[in-house]
Amino acid sequence: MIEYLLFATFIGLLFHGIHRKVIARIQGRPGPPIWQEILHTLKFSFKETWIPKTASHALFIGIVVVAIGIWSAALFLLLSGGSILLLFAVYLLHKIVEHGMGLSTGSPYTKFGAIRSVISAASELPLLVTVVAIYFFTHSLSIADIAAYQEVHGPLLIIAFPAAVAMYLVILSKMHYGPFSIIEAKEIVSGNMTEHFGVWRAALEVAYALKTYVLLYAFVLIFIGSLPLALTLLAMLIVLVSLSFVCAVTPMLSPYDTVTVQSLVTGALVIYIIILGVIMG
Amino acid sequence: MFDLPTTNIGGPELFVLEFGDIVAYFSPYTAALFVFALIFTVLAIVSRPERQVDFAFGGDAYYTKEVEANLLRFQRFMAIACGLATLGAMVTGDVFNFTLFASLVGITNIGIVAAYRNRHVLNAAFQYGIVVMLATVPLFGGAAIVLASTGTLSMWELFTGAVAVPLFAKAFLVLGVMGEGMAPFYIAKAEITRAQGAPFVLMVHVSSLLLFLRVIEIVLSM
Repeated sequence: MIEYLLFATFIGLLFHGIHRKVIARIQGRPGPPIWQEILHTLKFSFKETWIPKTASHALFIGIVVVAIGIWSAALFLLLSGGSILLLFAVYLLHKIVEHGMGLSTGSPYTKFGAIRSVISAASELPLLVTVVAIYFFTHSLSIADIAAYQEVHGPLLIIAFPAAVAMYLVILSKMHYGPFSIIEAKEIVSGNMTEHFGVWRAALEVAYALKTYVLLYAFVLIFIGSLPLALTLLAMLIVLVSLSFVCAVTPMLSPYDTVTVQSLVTGALVIYIIILGVIMG
Repeated sequence: MFDLPTTNIGGPELFVLEFGDIVAYFSPYTAALFVFALIFTVLAIVSRPERQVDFAFGGDAYYTKEVEANLLRFQRFMAIACGLATLGAMVTGDVFNFTLFASLVGITNIGIVAAYRNRHVLNAAFQYGIVVMLATVPLFGGAAIVLASTGTLSMWELFTGAVAVPLFAKAFLVLGVMGEGMAPFYIAKAEITRAQGAPFVLMVHVSSLLLFLRVIEIVLSM
């Protein structure tokens, strides 16, 4: 498991680098090398580390540990074929990490990030609706059962396309430099991460790399099925590049617009589920 | 005696804890939520609050808010009570107990915020209090309808395929939990962040999200 965690962290950081590179190329810039995020993480690991005087110390450190813990657990969950409801729970708990990170420092910038994180709670709703839509088809929330269902009936990407779109939006809302990245917008410095520096930032980069890996892996596993590792990574890369393309050509939305877009998608999905319920009894 | 029928929602049952006729159970799902609530309850116990930095408009001045000892003690007490209520709600195997824990979370959430003596914060707490009081109607109403239509509130009975729970009873439960503290009604209000944020106000968010996660498991399993 440890070796898989290290592998997922490395691939996640590499994906972050590829994400930046693709965005830069689409925007006509050379962009950083794709291993830049790995270098960043190493750099932060050896930089001077401090905790602001105004911070709630235990929470300031604890929230970083929780961030790594929940995404490591999510990775284990995917590998062991557990329930996607638990994956949904981890995704929601990440919201508490974002919120807690911002509230723990005393800084007004991080606090703005924390409040924006709560305002954008609508980003979780499409995932919940995705879970319900999948349950309609598979009658199970176990990842192992979902994979078995797809071996018989084909990928859910085709069967439940609107649910896949909702999950795609969920991943998009957690991507750096995306239209929904309001919690780390530059007008509030680095948002909720502003005061986490040095080792704390390096640990957060690791947690976020795991998060990206887990979300992309979950998308492939839930909507395409269980594939060999090389094919899984290729599918994840394709999804990532498409996300980077969206991030490159879409400006950051205002906080209330993000809620509006995510709520509209959720509303459309609810209508889809009602129709499913009527058709499938 | 207690075999959880629905294993494909929250995973198989791991452990059952009996307190007379009050029974708590741990599945991978409820255990994970329990552990998370426990972590933040411990953080509320051991943490000192942040010292909020405020900018003064119209100049470069900024100042740090000081936290009074009395306020700190009361908020910590409420945050711990909130954590304990959340712990109970995460593992209870009875719908009525779940609604009781949910309403206790609502009460303690008001306490956490209302302790701070600021007009804006108190207004937010007052408005939230009204929402919480209104939300108890669908919350307990949902549980009452479940009991009236099925004759039981035990999740071991309700999770079996033989018992059909009315859809609107499930909807009432979800609506009630949302009213007890979910994002659209309360936590997004900017006013509450005039109070110290961490770790006490964070418990408001932790408890409401965990309650929501638990009620989703309950209504999907029923």
